[in-house]
Amino acid sequence: MKMHKLRRLMSVPLTQIILFAALMTALQLLSMAGLIPNSFTYAIGSTLIYAIVAIGFCLLLGYSGLASLGTAGFIGVGAYAAYYVMESFGMPYIAALAVTLAISVAIGVAVGFISLRVEGLYLAILTLGLSEILRNLLMAVQATIKIDISNARLFGVQLNDSGAYMLVLVTFSLLVWLTSNLIDSPTGRAMLAMKNSTSAAQAMGVSLMKHRLLAFVISTVFAAIGGLLYMMYVRVMTTSVSTLLTMTTSLNILGAVIIGGAKSLWGTTLGAFIVYGIQSMFLSKIPFFQKNPAFITMLTGLLIVVVVMFFPGGLTQFLSGIKAKLQRSFRKVREDIYGKDLG
Amino acid sequence: MTLPFALMMLLGQLVNMCVTALAAFAVTMVFRTSTTTNFAQGSVAALGCYYTAELFGKYGVPVYLGLIAGMLVGVLCGLFIDIVIFRNGKSVNPVGKQIITMGLVSIIFGGIPLRFGNPERVPFESLYRGKEAANIIVDFAGGKLVVSRHALICLGVTVAVLAALFLLLKFSKWGLAVRATASNEFTAELMGINSHAITAISWALACALGVLAAVMYAGNGTAITASFMTTIQVNAFLACILGGFSTFYGPVVGAVCIPLVSTLVSFLQYLPIEGAAAISRWNMVIVYVLLMIVILIKPQGLLGKPVAKKV
Repeated sequence: MKMHKLRRLMSVPLTQIILFAALMTALQLLSMAGLIPNSFTYAIGSTLIYAIVAIGFCLLLGYSGLASLGTAGFIGVGAYAAYYVMESFGMPYIAALAVTLAISVAIGVAVGFISLRVEGLYLAILTLGLSEILRNLLMAVQATIKIDISNARLFGVQLNDSGAYMLVLVTFSLLVWLTSNLIDSPTGRAMLAMKNSTSAAQAMGVSLMKHRLLAFVISTVFAAIGGLLYMMYVRVMTTSVSTLLTMTTSLNILGAVIIGGAKSLWGTTLGAFIVYGIQSMFLSKIPFFQKNPAFITMLTGLLIVVVVMFFPGGLTQFLSGIKAKLQRSFRKVREDIYGKDLG
Repeated sequence: MTLPFALMMLLGQLVNMCVTALAAFAVTMVFRTSTTTNFAQGSVAALGCYYTAELFGKYGVPVYLGLIAGMLVGVLCGLFIDIVIFRNGKSVNPVGKQIITMGLVSIIFGGIPLRFGNPERVPFESLYRGKEAANIIVDFAGGKLVVSRHALICLGVTVAVLAALFLLLKFSKWGLAVRATASNEFTAELMGINSHAITAISWALACALGVLAAVMYAGNGTAITASFMTTIQVNAFLACILGGFSTFYGPVVGAVCIPLVSTLVSFLQYLPIEGAAAISRWNMVIVYVLLMIVILIKPQGLLGKPVAKKV
């Protein structure tokens, strides 16, 4: 009976989020105590930033059925907003957050309107063009931006390295919680209906315009928040050299969502850890890969190809398949021992 | 700004146009037969180009032989992607195929430095340097018009290749099969067309054209890196959207338009207005914004046909 209650408690998203956050905080405490290398938790933090972006994209692709390749540009918008508000005008973090939200909502609405006219892969390539516009625009404005975090204050508290990590973690937990609530709300159901058939959804009274705009606004806001956190965490960005704002990032985010399983938030987080985390957390510690970083890129690519080839539903499908198999064989063993009636 | 100068700037974009046109045709070929966008287009092209450059620079093989070898590498890559990867995957949908090509980009990006070491070089420099005939100079309208020989060769090759392909598409049995597969794969199969073979050939052809484009682009003096075709690839995608995916010639028209408009926009910096010189920095931004506006007005592309949607 107790087992049953525990299982039900575990299936509530909030419990899962609290457990995840507690685990990540514990890792940070361990690294502060010197038991885990600092670079390990640093890699976790940066992966969580990508996971935030990926979760916004999950809502767009997995729940609304809209493909976009503009993610990189939206990340750039958040990063530059953070830089200008905090570094040039010396305003606090909250102000940067407000400006980022305002700009990304505006961009999200614009892209949402575009999505009403152009659909499918066309939309993906069009948003790719939009991302290129944003990247060229930001590059022409200023090629390198750098934030000095010692000026940054959050609720009057000085932000340091572990403070930035906690900021990322808290933002991640909050956004996952909001998203999991949205998915189960009527709005989330309407989005899912829209994904499966636009005509049927419209016939049931779902406003295409409202939900497409909302989906794009949410994913743009998540990406921009990712950019903002990137500036708080990594603190420097070079537009002309780095690949952060190019097509590669948009594709990697898309890859994270597909690999994890397009309709699962934890799956998407897992996907982000596979695409971004594995190489920075584990592989870069192995001497062989340190000597040949090219193998890391190849291995990540190979992993992506294999997962998509053999598990079209993503890793969540793979894991639930294993779970079902285990349960079946477990039941069989029990039946063998006690007979069928007790099963 | 004089007329010969303006013409020269336009001619300077010739190689760019040719390369984008070939890449755009390749993207359309794959899109029409497999309904997916090949993100590995640029990196497969770079891989083939590396082989050509190595044969040319290290072993002194003539360029055209090296090019054929590079294109063969492209053909093998294309066949590998379609036959080995896509056909063995479990019910891979178009988005899944996109992700697979993206994974291949990572593999090739990682593989190129392993195989070729130092990732940056300009291999075809010796092809034209030191030769008097590198540029052709013509007197024109009271000025001198300088055209690079490479641009003319590229133009010739591109026109010949594309013309041959369009004629084949229009009049050969293979072309009919490709058009049938592009229009509806299932019905094409019912009509006895081996659509698997058609798809595989399309992939091979697309990758070979990519290598041809990459060698032309590198021959213009661009350093070869694993990602040196990325800009061209993005432009090729946008050209396909601009021209319309529903025809085979639309993307080629779009590919010519993008460098052309980009040059025309860059002319604006010579206007006698204050601050006009700053326009060159915003060149690509203006071009992409114009492109967006055109697509919003005509979502099917300039030459596209509206697609009726079944409910």
